[in-house]
Amino acid sequence: MDILIGSLVAGILIGMILALVALGLTIIFGVMDVVNFAHGEFLMVGMYTGLLTAQATGMDPLLTLPVSAMVGFFLGVVCYYGFIKFLMRGPMVAQLLGTFGLMLFLRNLALLIFGSEDRALHHGLLVGKSFSMGMGVIIPATKLAAAILSVFAFLAIWLLMNRTKTGKALTATALNAQGARYMGIPTDRMNALAWGIGGASVTIAGALLVNFWSVNPFVGLLFTMIAFAIVALGGFGSVPGAFFAGIVVGMIMEFPGFWDFLTYTLNWDWMMDVPMTSFKYTGVYLAYFIIMVFRPRGLFGWKH
Amino acid sequence: METLRSAFDFSDFPRLDISIAGIIAIFLLVFPLFSSSAFAMATMIQFLMFSLYGMGWNTIGGYGGQVDLGKAQYVGIGAYTTAVLLIRWDIPFWFSMPLGICFAVVWSFIIGYPLFRLKGHYFAIATIATSLVLMDLFGVWEFVGASRGLEISPIKYHPPDFWRLIFKEDIYYYYVILCFFFIGILYVNGFRKSRLGFQLRSIKDNEDVARSLGINVHWAKIKTYAIATAFVSMVGSFHACYIKSIEPEDTMSLDISILIALMAMLGGAGSLWGPIIGAAVLIPLKSYLKEWLGAAAGLAGIDLVIYAMIIMLISALEPRGIWGIVEKRRRRKRQ
Amino acid sequence: MALLEVQHLTKNFGGLSANQDISFSVQKGELVGLIGPNGAGKTTLFNCISGLHPISSGSVVFDGKDITALKAHEIARRGLARTFQIYVASGDLNVEENVMVGCFMRTGSTTKAKDRARDILKKLNIGDLSNALVSELPVAAQKRVTMATALGSDPKLLLLDEVAAGLNPNEIEEIMINIRHIHDDLGITVMLIEHVMELVMNVSDRVMVLDYGLKIADGVPKCVAKDPNVIKAYLGERFVREHGKELA
Repeated sequence: MDILIGSLVAGILIGMILALVALGLTIIFGVMDVVNFAHGEFLMVGMYTGLLTAQATGMDPLLTLPVSAMVGFFLGVVCYYGFIKFLMRGPMVAQLLGTFGLMLFLRNLALLIFGSEDRALHHGLLVGKSFSMGMGVIIPATKLAAAILSVFAFLAIWLLMNRTKTGKALTATALNAQGARYMGIPTDRMNALAWGIGGASVTIAGALLVNFWSVNPFVGLLFTMIAFAIVALGGFGSVPGAFFAGIVVGMIMEFPGFWDFLTYTLNWDWMMDVPMTSFKYTGVYLAYFIIMVFRPRGLFGWKH
Repeated sequence: METLRSAFDFSDFPRLDISIAGIIAIFLLVFPLFSSSAFAMATMIQFLMFSLYGMGWNTIGGYGGQVDLGKAQYVGIGAYTTAVLLIRWDIPFWFSMPLGICFAVVWSFIIGYPLFRLKGHYFAIATIATSLVLMDLFGVWEFVGASRGLEISPIKYHPPDFWRLIFKEDIYYYYVILCFFFIGILYVNGFRKSRLGFQLRSIKDNEDVARSLGINVHWAKIKTYAIATAFVSMVGSFHACYIKSIEPEDTMSLDISILIALMAMLGGAGSLWGPIIGAAVLIPLKSYLKEWLGAAAGLAGIDLVIYAMIIMLISALEPRGIWGIVEKRRRRKRQ
Repeated sequence: MALLEVQHLTKNFGGLSANQDISFSVQKGELVGLIGPNGAGKTTLFNCISGLHPISSGSVVFDGKDITALKAHEIARRGLARTFQIYVASGDLNVEENVMVGCFMRTGSTTKAKDRARDILKKLNIGDLSNALVSELPVAAQKRVTMATALGSDPKLLLLDEVAAGLNPNEIEEIMINIRHIHDDLGITVMLIEHVMELVMNVSDRVMVLDYGLKIADGVPKCVAKDPNVIKAYLGERFVREHGKELA
């Protein structure tokens, strides 16, 4: 029983953080119709930023979020003005391969600078501490804090998009770029803003993630694919969709836990032999495929 | 019969192109006799392999305009079929390779049917997903060696073994893949002039118009996808016998899929020469960058950084690829 | 038996009814014009008949077979061809290749398709443009190419969608000759959407008028031109009210 609840809780927690990861992707896609393959690499940059800032200043990593946010915003805007903007003129093939090139670039640049070993956080207020929820369920404090902060970040961005003038301008561009332009909204700047906010949200997620997930230059791809699955499930372009889908995908990732629970409850020996942990990510990929084929609009999507 | 004749017919190309192609063909034929560098030979073999990968991709990705980023799974199917059949049951290459193609094509029909309901980047991402799922599956499947992969040890056999495609010297491999290369070119030449080729190009132009001309769009895409798959699987089988060591992470990774797509995109998707030009530029570049820069201590990754920058430059500046530039200039001259 | 029989065809897009309860038939060998103000639902009607849009309700029977639920390519294979008003091309195929695509519906052989394409292009007087890219041609030629492409499939019924749009009087004359050739010489039943009145009224055996998704008139050109509903549709109710006496 405790495995079941443990998995559920873990799934929800990680899901909230993943939702934040996906948020950036869905914003960029919503505004510009561009699929950013390098999204996971932005996350990786956020992770390194969080790690290094914490180590350099000795501050608790959870307090270094603003730094990561700024780095992410800056990176997003620079990528847009320096590269993506030109990519938009070409056909979709070029866009896909271009962002893929960006992914390779960032990944190997990180490899060059940081080397390939895993790095993890060892200091911090909450590292090593955990809460007990009763019923034998233990939650690492870092994960819990990260999840809570994710929700806050998510809400903040949601408010930004829906309650501020700039945010509304961004949404307008997402719905109809040409129409927005006629209303005097500068598309170029909106695109850059989308990249900035998108970049910032995923680097924040990275800084949160690095509290309990070690970083190396190669973590990007996995999270890119997870982000794609979340965005597809939630609906390309939908902010609330990303949140709920994130939680669902978080659960999928905790599936080995559910599998173990079922194994013990049903007492079927063959189930024990299935190496479910290796399939953790397969489930996510499969989910993407199935959703796209049977319900391409996702849960909340308005853009197809 | 008509298709066969059509495959050998290059007359709709300008004389200049055919002459250059002829010279390059001769060069390829005599290259090994003049070169003593093992590295150059290995690079050339890679070039030929990736040209073929690219040519296959080009049918659905270039002429068809459906960007497929999941071709690596078929490299895996081809490679593993050949490797497993050889190691376990001593079945030679020339039986296992066609069998690999069969498996690959069957799989391509199975996932192709739902896959082609998608378009654009949704399609592209879905192809990635399927390839990664297969890679994960192979990574846990004990029968094929799971994540350790498989190794073919040449000592067990008596090279040069033409049946099993086990050789000691690269030169044999070179000529085998060169044959495939020429056959591949002939096939694509025939394909682009065939009914399916025309249908695909019409689909790429405008799907609604294509439909109103009686083309079953869904089915045409699936058929072409199968053709691309056959190409890739065939070379995958060769890969197993050549490299003699395969594992999911190496053979079926996303990087391989992207590389395959890149050949055609860089060289010019939708043209016969495109993938070959792309491979001619990218493969030596990758090899030599790695040789010169990659090995340098403390600079691991710099070769790929430069490589990535080139990809970024090309996609931003000339998305139609090198051949696209050539064609643009020619059209301007005509006017 | 009519070649095309449309019964109570309705096409809704969400809350908007683009085609409402439209019924008509086209006999073999007719040349029927379809006119109406912009937004009346003419192209939508073509899209419904040719299978590009699923129909909300009603039925379409072509050459004796019910094609209501068939897909576009299946309908095309039964001999119903059409042209498109707005042609967005990626510029990959030249003129001859475009027409060949149409011909491939009837043959699997490239040589036969090429010969047939050349033949059609010659008959429409654009044989010398074979190697040009469609996107680089002037409008008049482009329209001829779309017609040639549709002819490639040897259709029984040809739907022409505003082939005279954007043409000058000379070009309109030439297109009229092409249309007559298709109808009179090739014996193909034609239905055409047009805004250019001289063309439609001159060439059609019969004219149908749509307005706001409804069919408001159907008859010989002379009668339709005098039909008060038609005049109201084009000139507006107010105008008719104010100038009613002069129009009668």
